[in-house]
Amino acid sequence: MTPLPRTFPRPWPLALPAALALGLVLGICAGHDWAGPVDLARALADPDTMRARLLLDWRLPRVMAAGLVGALLGLGGAIFQGVFRNPLAEPYLLGSAGGAAVGAAIALLVPLGLPAAPLLAGLSFLGAWGATWLVVLFARMAGSLDAAGLLLAGVAVAAMLAAVRSFLMFALSDETISLQVVLSWVLGGVQTPTWPGLALLTALTVAGFVLAQRLSHGLDLLGLDEEQARAFGLDTNRFVSRAILVGALIVAVAVAYGGLVAFVGLIAPHVARWWVGPRHAALLPVTAGIGAAVVLVCDALARAALPPAEIPLGLITAVVGGPFFLLVLARKLRS
Amino acid sequence: MSALRAEAVEVRRGGRAIVARAALTLEPGALVGLIGPNGAGKSTLLRVLAGLVAPTSGRVALAGLDVGKMAAGERSRLVAYVPQHFTPAWDYSVRDLLDLGSRRAERPPALAGLLRDHGLETLAARRWSQLSGGERARTLLASVLAAPCPVLLADEPGASLDMGHRLALLRRLKAEARHRTVVVVLHDLDLAARFCDRLVLMAAGEIVLDGAADAVIRDDALDRSFGLRFRRVAVADGALHLFPIEPSGPS
Repeated sequence: MTPLPRTFPRPWPLALPAALALGLVLGICAGHDWAGPVDLARALADPDTMRARLLLDWRLPRVMAAGLVGALLGLGGAIFQGVFRNPLAEPYLLGSAGGAAVGAAIALLVPLGLPAAPLLAGLSFLGAWGATWLVVLFARMAGSLDAAGLLLAGVAVAAMLAAVRSFLMFALSDETISLQVVLSWVLGGVQTPTWPGLALLTALTVAGFVLAQRLSHGLDLLGLDEEQARAFGLDTNRFVSRAILVGALIVAVAVAYGGLVAFVGLIAPHVARWWVGPRHAALLPVTAGIGAAVVLVCDALARAALPPAEIPLGLITAVVGGPFFLLVLARKLRS
Repeated sequence: MSALRAEAVEVRRGGRAIVARAALTLEPGALVGLIGPNGAGKSTLLRVLAGLVAPTSGRVALAGLDVGKMAAGERSRLVAYVPQHFTPAWDYSVRDLLDLGSRRAERPPALAGLLRDHGLETLAARRWSQLSGGERARTLLASVLAAPCPVLLADEPGASLDMGHRLALLRRLKAEARHRTVVVVLHDLDLAARFCDRLVLMAAGEIVLDGAADAVIRDDALDRSFGLRFRRVAVADGALHLFPIEPSGPS
């Protein structure tokens, strides 16, 4: 173990697992029908009661899905920040999440006569990947983009994609359930998954984490600056392509399960960097944990704040994350 | 074994030759300075030597192998490059930077030894943002030298340093030149004359002069390349100092 620098708070190794456990318990207890920890313990002891079924079969998968979506959003944010060497990069702001949502809207609304689940996954991924490349190509065309330039490019791409998505909803909806589903996507919100659905999300999250972790040395090198990364042996073009592929996969899964959830991908890597420093091998797992904790808490708020209605998750993260983003932006612009 | 050869290197951008007909053979044992006025093509030629810029025509070979065709990882173990400007995106610590530099070696050296070699032990945990200019220069050089490369190319490494740190840096490069090929781009001609064994003078993309430092410094071509007259004054320690004189009206 190398000693950590004085200037960074010493990571307290149990803080993150503790926060996750607390978030999980809070998530299960929160809702228009609040349960206490005692109720939860009772449910675990006797899982056949009505109350236990509500908590364990209905809320638990939803809460776990929320945590996994948060972890994916955090990872996606950390990868894009690393690729763009920009602490303000974020899947939502860069348009990748918007691209995934366009893909999802096409899969849900356009009658293509293909099996629904793989189509949704495939088109979400293609949307996220294509939108990210659009921003990358623009950045290359413009030479190098500073923080603000990259964000503006991302905002423009996101706005175009939102227009495409709205057009699809406007032109193709037939007041069936599909429009409702697309709307919940747009505002961000985790649906309660089936157990197999949750198993698939878990598997995808683990895969995404492993793929992301394999990028960590390259992301570290890229953080030096592009020329020095090459001097230190990184084939930057190939690496950036690979990192964007992995980032788009991760964002696509997050969007497919959780819709457009803003700012988690910004907050999580920031807090993690402040906590464990900028090396990605440590940064990525901590980012995933913080992203999960943030979404667990926000999702609990979404379900409990305005009973019996549920506030879309994306609105809550935007209210929390917006000021955070402005703070980071102000610091970035001042330096 | 570690001779670095540039063969008819040419770099063109937008129809203009930034480097033209550059031919050089560089070997360990001598500190080579690359000098010339702004826009002469020094930095570009150095990047071509480092394999970071592909020449429009010609090639750079290290021990017979084309540097431009090497895989990035292989090249990074052979050629070390110190950039003129270095601004990491994240606030890495000194230890992080040495670690990232050393990982490209086939058998990365122990960090403790690297920190000691470069006198950075007390700074190991410091972040880049907390380092002074001199500490940054030492850290960057240590990071670049963290893998035992036979070639070291440095682009104006002391430009923003005070005189004491600049001298220390050049002494270090001079020491490195004993056992590797070292080329350094320098603006300060006094320092170039004092520390370099060999000087390569560039102007308008071409190599104008290439020879022993003492001979190049005394040559009229130096004055012509910079568009100035230099008065050369030998001081007590035998080193030559150059004092520029304003060109006296239109000629």
